[in-house]
Amino acid sequence: MLTQEPAIVIERLQKSYGTIQAVKGISLRVQQGEIFGFLGPNGAGKTTTIRCMLDVIRPTAGTIRVFGWDAQRDTLSMHQHIGYLPGDVRLPGQMTGKQIIDYFSHLQGREPVLLHDLVARFDVEMKRPLKGYSKGMRQKIGIVLAFMCDPEVLILDEPTSGLDPLVRKIFNEFLIEEQARGKTIFLSSHVLSEVEKVCHRVAIIRQGELVTVEAVEALRQKAGQLVTVEFGDAVAPQDLDRVPGVSDVTQSNGSYHLHVSGSMTALIKALSCHEVNRLLVEEAPLEEVFLKFYEGPEKTASVTR
Amino acid sequence: MATSSLAKHTPPAKKCARGLTIARASLAHTTIPIASGGAYAILIALLLGALAPSLAQADTGAYLSSNVLAGVLGGHLAHLGGITVTLAIYLYSAFYGLLFGGIVAYVSGVAIPLTIENGTLDLALSRPISRTRYYLENWGAMLLGAVLLSLLTVFAAWFATLFLTHPDIDWQWLWITQGVQSAFLFFATGLGMLLGSFLHASRTAGWSAVGIIALGYLLNTFGGLSDKYSWLLKINPSYYAPGIDPLVYHQLIWWYPGVLVMAGLALGSVGLIVFNKRDLPTT
Repeated sequence: MLTQEPAIVIERLQKSYGTIQAVKGISLRVQQGEIFGFLGPNGAGKTTTIRCMLDVIRPTAGTIRVFGWDAQRDTLSMHQHIGYLPGDVRLPGQMTGKQIIDYFSHLQGREPVLLHDLVARFDVEMKRPLKGYSKGMRQKIGIVLAFMCDPEVLILDEPTSGLDPLVRKIFNEFLIEEQARGKTIFLSSHVLSEVEKVCHRVAIIRQGELVTVEAVEALRQKAGQLVTVEFGDAVAPQDLDRVPGVSDVTQSNGSYHLHVSGSMTALIKALSCHEVNRLLVEEAPLEEVFLKFYEGPEKTASVTR
Repeated sequence: MATSSLAKHTPPAKKCARGLTIARASLAHTTIPIASGGAYAILIALLLGALAPSLAQADTGAYLSSNVLAGVLGGHLAHLGGITVTLAIYLYSAFYGLLFGGIVAYVSGVAIPLTIENGTLDLALSRPISRTRYYLENWGAMLLGAVLLSLLTVFAAWFATLFLTHPDIDWQWLWITQGVQSAFLFFATGLGMLLGSFLHASRTAGWSAVGIIALGYLLNTFGGLSDKYSWLLKINPSYYAPGIDPLVYHQLIWWYPGVLVMAGLALGSVGLIVFNKRDLPTT
């Protein structure tokens, strides 16, 4: 349900702390009804960007708009429509889950219409004081706080941090359901496999600069495919290396393993000249593409070629 | 684990009243220090009942009229007779500002940095709550705490009189004295809020505020020792909150509490500006 009007527009955002430039003029647009991944290594500027969006820190330059509201000038109007989950959910230990939920729904000025569903779905403990909660349980409370008043835009900083695999799965399903209900979700994460599962597009930020904004599908194509082939006749590795699109040829246990970028046609033609006992084709893990973007300009060039 | 599906047509979230949610939460954090202050006031009141008759018989004229004691107490006393003088020494001398002002300065200094430490500041300000409102509700809660402490002190003084046959307290002047001390507490809230507006750690902000109050008390003490250092008196806030003069001698320079209120207002307002302008930390 993508529409033309962007939900979030970030333009030339800069944030400096003294001589340190945490964010160096990034620009991006998030469409309404999109799950947008915001990725980068530690210290890349993800949380700084998110905190500028919330106006808890002020940009050195540039603007952020959510549904047309300026993050600095129209803060209150903008905040009526967003839900936020911080990267490190810390809550006052003396309050119970119920008390903290009451507190934040009052601050939101809206009734927590999704509370019952969220508590049941994530199996959230409500009665005990928060100081006894595990990291995962605090994260679940954070999720409830972000979603309970049914905001149009969700800003989630490392939302699955501390959650066990089962709850992560439930959370990812929930995100997809929310997206289907028209919600816009801006998601920062280190868990690349999850980003791959739920996001439509991703932005990758490194050292405060935006490296790329790509559709996940486009990145998947760039990632290429991994092929394992077992021949019935003798084949030299160089024969495979010469095939257009083929790289990283290795041999183990009588099989060749190779990476194919782009079309498979040339490889299939080459294989047809030989006796093939076994052929296995898999999607290359997207994580490798992400990591190349993370690692630096030289690696990035190999992905963007 | 239980799972469920969101209703396809979730009803839109209705608006609900915000009330003074932040102020109530902030006041809840002050419960223990304010209650401790109140308990201390009542303890003093109980001691007063026991000590007043003995003190009245002691020959301490030379001791009381010394500049050293006047500096420590924040005013001269001529004799020890009566519950009023005992109250003036133990409750309404310069110790009032040091102790109760210290408590109020501490809780005010802690109010905002505590929410940085416990992680609720970011979450609160991601809601449609302005920084100004957040700050003012916290300040309002601290003022309410100061009012509670003031009322507890008067209650303690009244409580002390229950044990005495002929209490010599002029209640009108006791309320005036309490009003002066409340002006000092107002100053203490402004001081604490200012420090809390730019310091990240709650204990640092709280103890800094207490430190400034204690420094003021020391200026008061040393300033009274010699005319050469009398200027020290005028730059310390305790000077403008005399307890002994109004309570014992029924004398008050009426604009002194105004100085404290204006100073508290100025400090708190500067804190509001700082809080509005700054980048808020996560820890």
